[in-house]
Amino acid sequence: MDPMSRFSVVPSGDESPEGPARPVSLEQLLRRAATGDETAFAELYDAVSSRLFGLVRRVVRDPAQSEEVTQEVFLEIWRHSARFDPSKGGALSWMLTIAHRKAVDRVRSAEAARHRDEGYGASNQDVTHDSTAEAVVERLDAERVHRALETLTPVQRQALELAYLSGYTHTEVATMLDLPLGTAKTRIRDGLIRLRDTLGVTL
Amino acid sequence: MSEDIHALSGAYAVDALDDVERARFERHLAGCTACQAEVESLVAAASELSVLTEAAPPASLRAKVLAEIATVRPLPPLTAPQHDSADEDATSSTPPEPVQAPAATAAPATQVEHADDLTERRRSRSARGLARGWRVVVAAATVAVLAIGGFTVWKQIDKDPSRAIADQVLAAPDATRYGARLAGGATATVVRSNALQKAVIVTSGMSQPPSGKVFQLWLQDATGHMTSAGLMPGGGDQVVVLSGDASHSKGAGITVEPEGGSDQPTSDPVAFIAFA
Repeated sequence: MDPMSRFSVVPSGDESPEGPARPVSLEQLLRRAATGDETAFAELYDAVSSRLFGLVRRVVRDPAQSEEVTQEVFLEIWRHSARFDPSKGGALSWMLTIAHRKAVDRVRSAEAARHRDEGYGASNQDVTHDSTAEAVVERLDAERVHRALETLTPVQRQALELAYLSGYTHTEVATMLDLPLGTAKTRIRDGLIRLRDTLGVTL
Repeated sequence: MSEDIHALSGAYAVDALDDVERARFERHLAGCTACQAEVESLVAAASELSVLTEAAPPASLRAKVLAEIATVRPLPPLTAPQHDSADEDATSSTPPEPVQAPAATAAPATQVEHADDLTERRRSRSARGLARGWRVVVAAATVAVLAIGGFTVWKQIDKDPSRAIADQVLAAPDATRYGARLAGGATATVVRSNALQKAVIVTSGMSQPPSGKVFQLWLQDATGHMTSAGLMPGGGDQVVVLSGDASHSKGAGITVEPEGGSDQPTSDPVAFIAFA
């Protein structure tokens, strides 16, 4: 099973973390949701809502709009649950793709643009950690991703963060980073490839 | 050209392409298994970044979500390759016309991107005009084409006989964009090449037409007369070649018409994109 198919991405080789194991995979919950199982969907919500909402809020920034978009995202996941294809990637990755696309669509719409923070804050996030075992696993995951990001060149990292976490197009990223037109897309791709290879992402 | 477009895989994986670039790339992706595999792996890599932004939503959201989904039926799985016949209907109703291949079909990215500032301004202007002048009936419900789920869409595009024309127009060195934003966040962008005398409409987040109705495309001449430019499927993201010579047109419109289409528009446009 690929690492994205479980909620908590555990560094490869690790034993299962302390605390309650998650006996049901996200794939299974999605499959049950596809049959109209609302209980399974509630479980799915509990498992991934922080990941989805956090990403949406990072891109959208406005709290009320972030909430709205997240609600749309979950409706979309529910409606399309039967169309999730595990051969194309993990369930979490699929749901995050939906969340990201909706968040980006929202910020690019003219109406929303007015309400949006113009400034680009650095990449420090207010990750809400509690003291549960799950939070420990999450922190390990975050550290792992931070370390992987450190292997990117500064331009690759900035380009990737502006594109993925802030929702700008590669053309906008080129302007913001003062890169020649057409090179931001290369930086984004090179950065993602390095991130993928460093994290050992497999499908 | 394929080397150039291949380089968009990373930006595509993180939704950093605009609608037209995305349409171009998805058409390329349909026939490029190397890009498909790369995109899948890059999407998965990007997803890992979300561990850095984790934040619990307000507790009240859970009840809202669960109440909402209880009233909505999940879509059935995609079971057969002939799943969206609307696409094929639309294709046959807009027969491809032969287009002379330009000497250089490669699209210098700079030329396409160059037009962005202007089109951006035009877009906001036409969006305002739209809100003022027309009853916008495109519903808020969007059917997003998912980057991952999009693989089924690419396969359909692959069989589209007008694909070659659309590709040429999207990649034409003189390609110019005109855009409009519709209600509910849907967008429509017309890409026109005067050298090829053709225009292509790229939509994103479109709803389906009301039951028993179709979306019809129109080209408007200098006198304001509308000529049918074929039918267009609703839903999600579409790339459709407008039939007819678009080089002298002043704008393009989308209307809702009875099944089979009309000779003249019978309703106000849901979108009108001025070529100015």
